[in-house]
Amino acid sequence: MECSFGITGKGYTIIASDSNAARSIVKMKTDEDKQKVLSDHLVMTYSGESGDTLQFSEYIERNLRLYGIRNHVELRPRAAASWIRAQIADSLRTRNAYQVNLLLGGFDLPTSEPALYWVDYLGTLATVPFAAHGYGAFFALSTLDRYHRPDMSLEEGLDLLRRCINELKTRFIVDLGTFKVRVVDREGVREVKL
Amino acid sequence: MSRRYDSRTTTFSPEGRLFQVEYAMEAISHAGTTVGILAKDGVVLAAEKKVTSKLLEQDQSSEKIFNLSDNIIAGVAGITADANSLVNYARNQAQKYLLAYDDDMPVEQLAQRLCDLKQGYTQYGGLRPFGVSILYAGFDDHHHFQLYHSDPSGNYSGWKATCIGNNNGTATSLLKQDYKDDIGIQEAMGLAAKVLSKTMDATSLDSEKLEFATITLDPRTKKPVGRVFKPNDIDRLLEKHGLAKPKDPEAAAAAATSAPAQGEAMAVDS
Amino acid sequence: MSRSYDRALTVFSPDGHLFQVDYALEAVRKGTCAVGVRGKDVVVLGVEKKSVLQLQDPRTIRKTAMIDDHVCLAFAGLTADARILIDKARIECQSHRLTVEDPVTVDYITRHIAGIQQRYTQSGGVRPFGISTLIIGFDANETRPRLYQTEPSGMYSAWKANAIGRSSKTVREFLEKNHKDDMTKDETIKLAIKSLLEVVQTGAKNIEIALMEGHGQVRNLELAEIEKFVEEITKEKEAEAERRRNRLAATAGAQASMS
Repeated sequence: MECSFGITGKGYTIIASDSNAARSIVKMKTDEDKQKVLSDHLVMTYSGESGDTLQFSEYIERNLRLYGIRNHVELRPRAAASWIRAQIADSLRTRNAYQVNLLLGGFDLPTSEPALYWVDYLGTLATVPFAAHGYGAFFALSTLDRYHRPDMSLEEGLDLLRRCINELKTRFIVDLGTFKVRVVDREGVREVKL
Repeated sequence: MSRRYDSRTTTFSPEGRLFQVEYAMEAISHAGTTVGILAKDGVVLAAEKKVTSKLLEQDQSSEKIFNLSDNIIAGVAGITADANSLVNYARNQAQKYLLAYDDDMPVEQLAQRLCDLKQGYTQYGGLRPFGVSILYAGFDDHHHFQLYHSDPSGNYSGWKATCIGNNNGTATSLLKQDYKDDIGIQEAMGLAAKVLSKTMDATSLDSEKLEFATITLDPRTKKPVGRVFKPNDIDRLLEKHGLAKPKDPEAAAAAATSAPAQGEAMAVDS
Repeated sequence: MSRSYDRALTVFSPDGHLFQVDYALEAVRKGTCAVGVRGKDVVVLGVEKKSVLQLQDPRTIRKTAMIDDHVCLAFAGLTADARILIDKARIECQSHRLTVEDPVTVDYITRHIAGIQQRYTQSGGVRPFGISTLIIGFDANETRPRLYQTEPSGMYSAWKANAIGRSSKTVREFLEKNHKDDMTKDETIKLAIKSLLEVVQTGAKNIEIALMEGHGQVRNLELAEIEKFVEEITKEKEAEAERRRNRLAATAGAQASMS
C-alpha cells in the first residue's frame, strides 16, 4: 500500500512519497522517510519489500557519494538512473533479487533541465514528465494526464500534487496519511510542506 | 652499486628516486613529437611519424593518434607497442563507462583510469613501467573541451597547450609564445603544424611524416566529433599554412592558379 | 635473483634496516612541503603549491584531497602513489558508512591508511608508497580537532602541529618554537602560513590553506585571505627587525659613550 509521485515543471522536479511503515495490515509508523537525497541535485523515492528497499537504497547512496568525492563532479541524473537501473537488472538475475521500485527526481546542471525517471523492480527505466508508483498510480495518472504542463510554475506543480493526493483521499479505500515532499531545482534539494 | 637499484622497477634508489620510471621518460624524449592545443571550439592533436622505410604502407595506418571513444582522442609518444596496449585498455574502459552510465566518460576520468594502471606498473614487482606519454583531447559537459597529459609515472595534469617527445623544449617555448587564450580551432591547427615544422627541423612537411586529428562539436547535433585526418587533408592543411613541401614547378604553378580546395580539412571552419 | 619478483622487495639488511622504507622517506623529503596545525577548535592544513606553468590548467593540480565530508588529507611525495592511496581511503570511508551507518573517525581512517602503507612494506613484490600524509578532521558530534601523520613505513601518530616534505625539519622546529595550546582560528591559520613561509619564498600565491572548523565544515581560503595574513606577517617581521636594529644602535651608542 505504498505510493509515490514525481512531477516535473519549469526548472524543478517534485518528488513525494507516503510516510507509512506497515507490516501486513498493521500501520507501525506514520513518519517514515522513504526518500534518499543522493547528491546535491538528485533525490530518490523507494518502495517495495521493506528490508530490500533500505539495503538497496543505502548501497546506492554510498556508491553515488563515492563517485562524487572521487571525481570532483556529481553523476548527472541520467547517468545515475542508468547505473541504478543496471544494479537492479543485475540483481534480478540472481537468486534473491531486490524487490524495489524507484522514482528518481533531479536537476541536470549542464543542461539546466529537470529530470524524472521511473524505475521498477524488473529493471525498467523510463524518462517521464510525471510518474507514480503503487496503487496511487491507478487513481492519479489520469489526473496528471489531464492537468500536467511542462511549463508549470512550482506552485502549480504543488497544486497538481495536492489534486492527486486529494483524489486518493476521495476514492482510495485506504488512507495513506501525509506525504513527504521534496523539490529539486538549480539551488538543490529542499523539503516542502504541502 | 647503482645496478642494484636501477635494474628493478619497483625499488627506490637511496635518494628516493625510481630509476626505471626516469629511464622510461628518457625513452619518450627520443620519440617523435606529439603536440596538443586546446582551442575555444575544439582541440587539435598533431604528431610526427617516423618513416622507417619507403616500402611502408602509408595510407591507412595510424600509429600515433587514436580515437578512444566518441568524445575523446589521444596522441602518444614512446614505445608503440606499449601505446597500443594502453589504447586498447582505454577504449575498453570508455565503453565500460558507457555501458554502466549510458553517458560519455568524462575526459579526466579516462586519463585518471589510465594513470592508475600506469602507477601500478611502477609499484608492483616484476613489471616495468609503460614507456608511453599520452595526450588526451576530449569534450564533456562538465568542463567542455579539455587537454590532459600523462607520463610513465602515472602523473597527469591538464593543459592549454603542451607537447611530448623529441625536442619538446623547443615546442613548449614556441607554444608559450604563440598561444592565446581565445585561439580558434583553425588557428590552433596552424600553430600545431608550425610547432612540428620547428621540432622536426624541416622547412617543409608532408602527410607522410605527420598525423593530425581534431575533436570539435558537430554544429548541428552539438555532439563531439573526433576526426583523424586522411593524408589528403593533411597536405591541404599544410598548403594552407604555407608549410607544404614545394612540388615540382609545374604542379606548383597549377596549384597557384587554382583556388585552395574547400575540402574536408576545412569542414570545421563554418 | 631471477625469482626476485615473488619475494618481498623490502627486506631487512644485516644491521636491521628496511632500506626500501628509508629510501621511500627520501622521496617524501623531495616532495612539496605540507603543514598541519591544531588550534582550540579549528584545524588547518597548509601546503606549498608549485607555481602553475603558463600553459597548465590549475584545476588539475590538487595537493589536498577530501577523503570524506569531514576528513581532509595533504601529502608529500609521489603524486601518483598518493592518488592511489587516497582512492583506497575514499572507498573505505563510504564502505564504513554503509556497514555501520556512522562516518569514520579520523583516528580510524588514519589507522586504515597507515595499515595499507604497512602492507606495502611487507608483502611480496611491491615497493612501499613514496608518500607521507597529514590528515585532519573532526569526529561526528565532537568539537575536538584532530591531526595525524602517516609515513611510508606504516607508522602513524597524532600531533598538535607538524610538517612533512621538503625542509620539514626546519618547519617542524619553527612550529615547536611557536605553537601554543588553545590558539584561536586566526592564530592557527597565521601560524600555519608563517611556518610555510619559512620554506616558501614566493608568498601567498604558492600557498594553499584548507580550514576545518567543525564536523564537515571545510573550506579552502581565498587567495585574498591568505595575502592578508602574509601581509600581516611581513609587517610583524619588519617591526621586529626595526626593533632589533634600534636595540643594536642603542647598545652601540651606549658602548660608544662609555669608551
